[in-house]
Amino acid sequence: MKKYFLIIFAFCLGLGSAVAQEERPGSIWRSVSLGLEYEVNASINIGGASPIPLPAEIRKINSYKPHLNLQIGTNITKWLDKDRKWGVMTGLRLETKGMETKATVKNYGMEIIQDGKKLSGKWTGHVQTKYSTQQLSVPVVGVYRINERWKVNLGAYLAYAFNNSFDGYVYDGYLREGDPTGNKIEFEDGAQATYDFGEDLRRFQWGLQCGGSWKAFKRLSVNANLTWGMNDIFYDSFKTVSFDMFPIYLSLGFGYNF
Amino acid sequence: MSVLCIMLLTVSCIKKEPLNAECDIVSVTLPGDVLNRRPIIENDRVTLIVKNYVNVTELAPEFELTPGAQISPASGTVRDFTDPQTYVVTSEDGEWHKTYTVAVQRNNAINLKYAFEDVRIVKSTQGGSYDEFLDININETTHKRDTMIWASGNGGFALTNGTNPPDTYPTFQVSDGYVGKCAKLVTRSTGAWGAMVNKPLAAGNLFIGKFNITIAVAKPLQATQFGTPFYSVPRYFSGYYKYAPGEVYQKFDADAPGKLVTVPGQKDECNVYAVFYESTSDMEYLDGSNVLADDNPNIIAVARLSEEQRRGAAEWSRFELPFVFRPGKTIEPEKLENGHYNIAVVMTSSMEGDYFSGAIGSTLLVDELEIICK
Repeated sequence: MKKYFLIIFAFCLGLGSAVAQEERPGSIWRSVSLGLEYEVNASINIGGASPIPLPAEIRKINSYKPHLNLQIGTNITKWLDKDRKWGVMTGLRLETKGMETKATVKNYGMEIIQDGKKLSGKWTGHVQTKYSTQQLSVPVVGVYRINERWKVNLGAYLAYAFNNSFDGYVYDGYLREGDPTGNKIEFEDGAQATYDFGEDLRRFQWGLQCGGSWKAFKRLSVNANLTWGMNDIFYDSFKTVSFDMFPIYLSLGFGYNF
Repeated sequence: MSVLCIMLLTVSCIKKEPLNAECDIVSVTLPGDVLNRRPIIENDRVTLIVKNYVNVTELAPEFELTPGAQISPASGTVRDFTDPQTYVVTSEDGEWHKTYTVAVQRNNAINLKYAFEDVRIVKSTQGGSYDEFLDININETTHKRDTMIWASGNGGFALTNGTNPPDTYPTFQVSDGYVGKCAKLVTRSTGAWGAMVNKPLAAGNLFIGKFNITIAVAKPLQATQFGTPFYSVPRYFSGYYKYAPGEVYQKFDADAPGKLVTVPGQKDECNVYAVFYESTSDMEYLDGSNVLADDNPNIIAVARLSEEQRRGAAEWSRFELPFVFRPGKTIEPEKLENGHYNIAVVMTSSMEGDYFSGAIGSTLLVDELEIICK
């Protein structure tokens, strides 16, 4: 999947440089004059997939580690008025979103699958979770320019995840097999069991996004965007994790404007 | 980053702890000095072993439950335990109920002959099922039917065995016994699941005692609790067996892929033995870590297949093993009468199976066991 990522990365860079080098004197110039504006950008995503609010099963977050999630993209803004105050923006971005957490839980839905054999039940104890997704996203937002330097945007995004993983392990605790009345099975003294819910992660997601952009130089802007997923990261048919989890990420980065 | 953290914190505070969903009997006490062993508490069964003089028709057990749970009939209710009684425990959140069978065992004349004709099918929560061997005995003094349930590691194997039927388990009943049906014990692979929890194989095992599934993953040697009170002086342990060791002997190795390494040239051995021992408060039962230990001070006498017998028997073969007393050990009549001794009968298809070493496919058949007493 890394290869995938690199190919798309190269494609985006290529697109950017093609736009920058070849078309700029001609069509881009014309586009700009027609009220279009292009940008390529790169940023990092910080955040996680979290239930909102935290369900009662989660008793304590013991650690949280954001991955270094890169995001690259390109977007086009169409200004709707002559003053270039109001516009709409769309584009394409390739991004990774990931995190690692350790939590203490009580009576938490768990499924331990190995070799197609499934042990499910309610877990009380420690859970380590690693979430990572690589997505292609298309934002559609409205843009408002406050002044020469500041722009803000608000809208939605659609995302397709082409690589998903959600896995981890449980340790220092016990499983009630099936439900809270089932056999109690302790995992202690280093005994741990791994789980993998990657197959149950949703491929298409949508969410809301808002953010701002500050023009530092003529062609360089500093961008910050908050994306807030509106779907549970899992398919509705997946019942083991009994609460919905939403990806919430803040991206910080730079944009180059043509 | 800090903005995000603040935001996440404001929307994601830790909620109030939910009410308990579990409904366990955590401990049991009986008023007065009536218990002969500590209560044996399983997931839905409690066994109270009482002293000989105790009147079982009027007992009022008191229960400690999962915090917040309720029990019906209430703790301390006087009931007649001539037959096992049921109790229903309801969780603190009111959502879950569990029915316990509470049996009182007194001066149990356990069967001395075991034919392996009776099993009951236990359903695993994953949809599979396995055999549990039973011995039904008519108590000569009370004329009541006592049921002894043979223990095995099948309950642990069920965690790894999905929806599979009884004959895929390490221990099950087959019809081609020496007489009628018999017990069949096969050393199995536990697959990726078992390897993950450092238990890459499961030897067939069958024993008098209890299998404590709660600690089966974390402390497997302690999970096999061997023995039950015994009131006679054992002389011989006899029976019929058949044994074919598996092809490839493998030894547990936590660093190896699949957690097993092949030991070329080594042959698997079965094990069939009976141990008569003193039950003391610091060692009420023997377990996998000490059941045959030479330095175990509680062991009085052992009857065990010889090394040659353990290596294999192509046809049904009879064994008649004397209980060999350990040096300096004798049976004290007073302790015997008061139920201070236990007997354990243990069979396994791989002698080192409790350490997850053996040959997958090793097959032991056992039938018509008998403990011959003085």
